[in-house]
Amino acid sequence: MRKYIEFARVQMQVHAAYSAWFWANTFSVLLRMLVIYFFWKAVYSSRTEIEGLHFDGMITYIIIAMFLQMFVSGVGRELAHTIKDGNVAIELMRPYHLITRLIAMDIGDKVVYFIRGALPLGLLAFVFMDITLPETWQGGVLFLFSAILGIWIGTFFDLLIAILAFWTINLWGLEVMKEAVISFFSGALVPLILFPEWFQTASLFLPFQAMVYVPVAIYTGILTGTEAWLAVGSQVVWAVLLFILLRVLWSFAMKKVTIFGG
Amino acid sequence: MIRYMKLYYLFCKQNLKVMMEYRMDFLLGVLSVMLQQFAGIFFVKIVFDHIHELNGWTFYEILFIYGIAATGRSIHHIFFDNLWTLGWQYIRPGKFDRLLIRPINPLFHFIADRLQQDGFGQLFIGIIVISTAMPHLDISWGVLEFAILVVMIIASGFIFVAINLFFATLSFWMVDSLPIVWTIFNLSDFARYPLTIYHKGIRYLLTWIIPYGFTAFYPAAYFIEGSGFEKLALLTPIIAVISCIAAYWFWNRGLRAFTSTGS
Amino acid sequence: MIIVNDLEKHYRIAKRDPGLRGAIKSLFHRKYETKKAVKGINMHINAGEMVGYIGANGAGKSTTIKMLTGILTPTSGEVKVNGIVPYENRKQNASHIGAIFGQRTQLFWDIPVRESYELLKHIYEIPQKQYEETLAEFVDVLHLGPLLGIPVRQLSLGQKMRCELAAAFLHRPKVVYLDEPTIGLDVAVKVRIRAFIKQMNARYGTTVLLTTHDMQDIEEICQRIIIIDDGNVIYDGSIQDIKSQFGEKRVIHFELEDSITECVLPEELKKVAKILPRTDEDHHNVSISFSNKDISGAEVIHSMMNQYSVADLTIADAKIETIVEEIYGRGMKGRVHHEEIH
Repeated sequence: MRKYIEFARVQMQVHAAYSAWFWANTFSVLLRMLVIYFFWKAVYSSRTEIEGLHFDGMITYIIIAMFLQMFVSGVGRELAHTIKDGNVAIELMRPYHLITRLIAMDIGDKVVYFIRGALPLGLLAFVFMDITLPETWQGGVLFLFSAILGIWIGTFFDLLIAILAFWTINLWGLEVMKEAVISFFSGALVPLILFPEWFQTASLFLPFQAMVYVPVAIYTGILTGTEAWLAVGSQVVWAVLLFILLRVLWSFAMKKVTIFGG
Repeated sequence: MIRYMKLYYLFCKQNLKVMMEYRMDFLLGVLSVMLQQFAGIFFVKIVFDHIHELNGWTFYEILFIYGIAATGRSIHHIFFDNLWTLGWQYIRPGKFDRLLIRPINPLFHFIADRLQQDGFGQLFIGIIVISTAMPHLDISWGVLEFAILVVMIIASGFIFVAINLFFATLSFWMVDSLPIVWTIFNLSDFARYPLTIYHKGIRYLLTWIIPYGFTAFYPAAYFIEGSGFEKLALLTPIIAVISCIAAYWFWNRGLRAFTSTGS
Repeated sequence: MIIVNDLEKHYRIAKRDPGLRGAIKSLFHRKYETKKAVKGINMHINAGEMVGYIGANGAGKSTTIKMLTGILTPTSGEVKVNGIVPYENRKQNASHIGAIFGQRTQLFWDIPVRESYELLKHIYEIPQKQYEETLAEFVDVLHLGPLLGIPVRQLSLGQKMRCELAAAFLHRPKVVYLDEPTIGLDVAVKVRIRAFIKQMNARYGTTVLLTTHDMQDIEEICQRIIIIDDGNVIYDGSIQDIKSQFGEKRVIHFELEDSITECVLPEELKKVAKILPRTDEDHHNVSISFSNKDISGAEVIHSMMNQYSVADLTIADAKIETIVEEIYGRGMKGRVHHEEIH
């Protein structure tokens, strides 16, 4: 355990060292918030509500979802690169579990990003963009719990996709594909209740809505009461399922490494 | 000139061969970019399921803007993608020196070094989107309109190229300007929607400072009756030429700085 | 062929205080420090010469080569290669030169070697017939046959270097700059590469400027060496000369039967020889250096065997390597000293 905490700590320092990227990222997030703000302002210029959501609720949903989406992908890229350049064989000889190490690093990354990036930017959005707080404190607590589950699901999904690097070398393509699918199905761009009926049904059977939509819908009061608890329940199921799936796929991949030498 | 065209053809041939070697990755790349673009379009579609117009713009008009942006960007993505790698793949590992001891223009060599397969996905989607939107616009499409559309798209592509080249050139002074290039590139997100929805300041910035407005909105507005931007739209090719000249001038300055510091 | 007069290159290095405050401060007010990498070099190399260019890391070797190839503009001084000022007419200069920069590949990473050569043919505008002849010759000498169809990324280091070498010479350049062409290679490949370079020189009169840490390369290929230290030329002359100036130096390594902590020279050797510092903890070994002018090797061995029981001994050659090390080690002082000898 001790060594994994150490990995997380080191990663925090690494994160702090790349300050150019930090500012680039911060600036880009600001730009995106501007685009989102003006776009939805224009959408609401001729009406006051869509599917029961007023401008305040909609912008709150979109901005919170945007921030949450930044946390649902993780160290998949690291893993994919380790696999691609063949270092995975070396990593396997080290006295730790590679996946656990990566997750520890991921936690370090995300904690730092939360403090340095998301928190100040979120405050900014809160002050300037009519973002609202959850209606009840219970909703807030449930949101936090659900968001952590969502990040867990996203992280494991990310690692699962990264293992595909054993079979392809176009990592950029893999990453773009994953990002596209997630923003598509997770409700990161727009609340799922705006989607056509069939699409909403389909996404019930996919893990993506558990990453972003469920927590943010709880935050904004789209999901309340029993509905909310059921949704969190399905998140738990997905979290466990993905955890098991990762273990299985990883052991398959390891066989490929140890038998065929990568 | 003819020599460079022939050389470019030869570079392309080699790049294509490599691409075909990794067929799986080619498909994956194309597919992923298509999916990415499709997600954006789907988003617009979902929103328009609930509204009829966005600030006076119809769904197909927005789609048309979107299509021009995607097609223009695909030119940049397919042929000029190497611009992203100037700092971390060429200058930092010293690979740029290799280009300087060849008897051809180093910028040409640098650009020709790579052909980006993934951009084809963007091109497909762009063409599909444009042709879906075209019949729904209030304009009769003759040869002239078509020719203008093609010119506009190429101009749009070269504005993307010029902006990226300009900021990539900073790498000559600071080793890797990728974070800056990336940030500026993100500004092009604004260009996917009508500029009229934004604050005046943003509109000014995207028209006269970093002319992403000319990569999609203005050229599209040329074909949309009553948009009020028809005249400005005709500036698109001129803006493209000016930006390319400015970027190339800046590149040459960067190169000079590089050869005197050699960092 | 290569004319260099009073060549200097200074770098300005921005000094920055640490931390965010330093970064912000440096935006408005920068302090610079000037580093002189090359401090006034002169060299004249004739067409067809093969010259070894040696110096420790950071002595200014690669800075000089970069200025000769046109990659870097000098601060002051004159450079002319084949009548062209490289940094002013970089492209024109480029068509007459070839280069290898250590382990950085000049070839195209993902495509087969043959295709790389095809591209180079067009880049350098080599006539088809000449291209075919040259390639056939290179395939023969460097044994490239089986490698031509393989992408560069799949080649081993030695294979890659052979292909690189062919690429550097493919357009029959007048001057070739070779920066560490044999680094990390095994002996058989080194031998082949040296033979190839010599053959190119003999057949096409190619001028070669070679930097290397492998003194064997220098001894086998070059007639002349230029030694650079701290941005100055400290030696420029033939290998023969340097050997005869310093070449009387001999070293004999003795392996003694008994372990001796502090070895003392026999009386008769004290004036003319000295014990070299031990490089390891083995107390059985003693190395003695002396000059052939003062005493013969046989006498040294005789005296030592009288005093100690010697198990084994080896006589080290007068290698350019040892000599260069001596010169490096003494730097500027070395030059003064070498004048004293005469």
